[in-house]
Amino acid sequence: MSTPTQTETTPQSTFARLRDLWNDYLPYWFMAPMVAVMVMITFFPGAYDLYLSLIAEPTLDVFAADFVGLRNFETAFTRGGAIHSFVITITVVVSALLLETILGFVLAALVAGVGSGRAKSFYRVLFIIPMAVAPVSLATIGRIMLNSEIGIIPYVINTGTPFAAPNFLSEIPLLTVILLDAWNWTPFMFIIFYAGLSSVPKTLIEASRVDGAPMWRRYVHVIIPYMKPVVFVATLIRLIDLFRTFGVVYGLTGGGPGTATQLVSINIYEQMFINNQITVAAAIAVVYLVLVVALCNVIIAKVGFEGVWD
Amino acid sequence: MTNSNRRTFLKATGVGLLSGLAGCTRGGDGSDGSGSDGSSGGSDGGTSTDGSDGELAIPLSEYEDADIDWRQFEGSSINIGAVQHPWVSAIKPAVPVFEELTGIDVVWNVLPEQQFRTKRQTDVSTGAGQFDVFYMDQVVNQFREEGWIQPLDPFFDDESLFDEDWYDPDDLFEASRWQAHGGGYSDTWTGMPITVEVQTQFYRKDLYDKHDLEVAETLEEFRQNAQTIHENESDVVGTVGRGDKGYGMNIYILNTFLREFGSSLWTEFPTDSGLDSDGVINAAEWYVSLLQDYGPEGASTQTWSDVLSTMQEGRAGHIVSDANLFWPGLTGSDSSVADTIGIAKVPSPADGQFSPNAFNWQISTSKNAQNSEQAFLFMVWASSQPTNTWMHVKGDAAFSVRQSVWENDEFRSRVGENFAQVTLESLQEAAPDPFDRKYPEWGQRYSEELQRAIAGQKSAEEAMTQAASIAEDIYSN
Repeated sequence: MSTPTQTETTPQSTFARLRDLWNDYLPYWFMAPMVAVMVMITFFPGAYDLYLSLIAEPTLDVFAADFVGLRNFETAFTRGGAIHSFVITITVVVSALLLETILGFVLAALVAGVGSGRAKSFYRVLFIIPMAVAPVSLATIGRIMLNSEIGIIPYVINTGTPFAAPNFLSEIPLLTVILLDAWNWTPFMFIIFYAGLSSVPKTLIEASRVDGAPMWRRYVHVIIPYMKPVVFVATLIRLIDLFRTFGVVYGLTGGGPGTATQLVSINIYEQMFINNQITVAAAIAVVYLVLVVALCNVIIAKVGFEGVWD
Repeated sequence: MTNSNRRTFLKATGVGLLSGLAGCTRGGDGSDGSGSDGSSGGSDGGTSTDGSDGELAIPLSEYEDADIDWRQFEGSSINIGAVQHPWVSAIKPAVPVFEELTGIDVVWNVLPEQQFRTKRQTDVSTGAGQFDVFYMDQVVNQFREEGWIQPLDPFFDDESLFDEDWYDPDDLFEASRWQAHGGGYSDTWTGMPITVEVQTQFYRKDLYDKHDLEVAETLEEFRQNAQTIHENESDVVGTVGRGDKGYGMNIYILNTFLREFGSSLWTEFPTDSGLDSDGVINAAEWYVSLLQDYGPEGASTQTWSDVLSTMQEGRAGHIVSDANLFWPGLTGSDSSVADTIGIAKVPSPADGQFSPNAFNWQISTSKNAQNSEQAFLFMVWASSQPTNTWMHVKGDAAFSVRQSVWENDEFRSRVGENFAQVTLESLQEAAPDPFDRKYPEWGQRYSEELQRAIAGQKSAEEAMTQAASIAEDIYSN
């Protein structure tokens, strides 16, 4: 005589178990598509880059790959110019960020102080124009305007001042790159700071004025503290973007003369497409990725949540 | 600088950048080299004809004398990977002849230079074998040593694929054959040369007449001519030359002079690069001081297109040496001084050997290609005398690797007797760069050092000594 086993299931009980599974993990199911997308667009390229940095020659056949440990990293930091390009990049990022932040804030404050609404609109449009120029166009315009023979900028300096114009691209290439980037991206800081200034409650400013605080005190003790989140977000976005700078500098100087303006991004490009050192390029990219992500996380952890978003 | 000059410069720069000079050697310069042929993908398959009268561009009888079994692969097709380049534009109208002759369809994959390099690298390194034929340049020995490209010698030995008497390989310039053998690093054919450019000197005949100058044969004479023009002409510099970094830029020019000073690259491979030898240092000092003293401001950032547009606009007395392929751009409608341009062989030291640099594009096939034999038939057909002569006489090509084309009266009449003769004599004496396996890497660093010297950041001797150290270090590791 046979007896029914306890493991037999009915269609209803299977359905019920699936429903429970769905309900128990509901938040995870909703997140799953996004997780899959993130894996594809961030994790996979990063993992593939790491794989390339550890092998002798690029191949899609993982089992046939010749793993060489940290040899590509060693090459990158000995003859690959990685240290030099990191120094150049840090110099450009810090200088340009400071310049753009200060100039952007000053311009925003000046425009905010203009009485006429029509004049404000005019300045807003005027200051935003450089940001709309594509990097390759900007580099081409820069090369022409800075050309010692036919450029308008050396011409103005030579004829309008007692000084002789320097050769921008060969004598002061790094400063030229920083100034061009500042010209390109100060409008970004301007527009965000302008929006931030517009959001400062007028009652606070009125109160400080009634208390007799001069303008600089109003900025230092009222307006800037109130704008701290705006300043933080704007500089963080610009910081990340500055680490990705490539087109303008490559178009303007090609990273030269020599390697005077060779940013990490340019070094990676040259190792990859000029030298055909794909694995060395991957090694530099891995280090760069880790450093930039770590730096941004430190900034967010140390600055971002201490009195800004609390 | 006057306003009119500035306007003319802007115009000339735009025109110069867009002109079809993709044939000028590049590499390591960041340019993607957009040329005149913008097509990508697609097929020219079938038996289409050139022109509307239904006749083939070249009669099939031109090829039927060859003892080659042209139709042994009838019904198959080949994939060609190419950069946007005048050779593609020049040969495409004749491709229906190949298709009719062999029954093989030709599929083109034409890309901007940098995109093509990436695709080619992926194709060979992953073993995909998508391209049966592909453009090959300075990376030839890197590809050869990795085992990515297939030597052509077995195909040359196959009597059904090749007829030596008909093809006449000796008609190819020795420099082109040498470069197709990995620039002396390979005993076997790594591909078939399809274009060659050689360095020549361009000068302003009107300024020479005005200042009673003779065309320079020596470096010292050239320097004096440059000085005379530089010091006596306003808004015209004595000379202009490539100063920007990249192995297709400043060192492409300097390599001519270092050979003329009796030195060479890799005097002892791979231990002595030769870059710190007296000959190289003397050549570098000469070139650097020439550009610093009589060149434009910012000479260290001049690319080949800057050099061309500066001369086109009439703002330079000479181009010290550069690709003969500048000739159409300098004497055509893009040039404001078209009627005054002269061409001559590059100068050499009084006690030196005339040795102009030259660059060849070649086409190769990979070890993983599905149709390498068909690809070889295409290479033979494309570089044969009938096809090559047609491209140069009926088309607008001027980069033949065949001596017979440069001696062809009809061709000489089309391009100009002097241009053809100077180019021919230069090609016969040409000494192309030998691209060793790591040339792209150390060549880039060598060019960076030279650029620093031209920019005045260090002396030529310091720069070349550093370049030697870098190149040798790359091989010692």
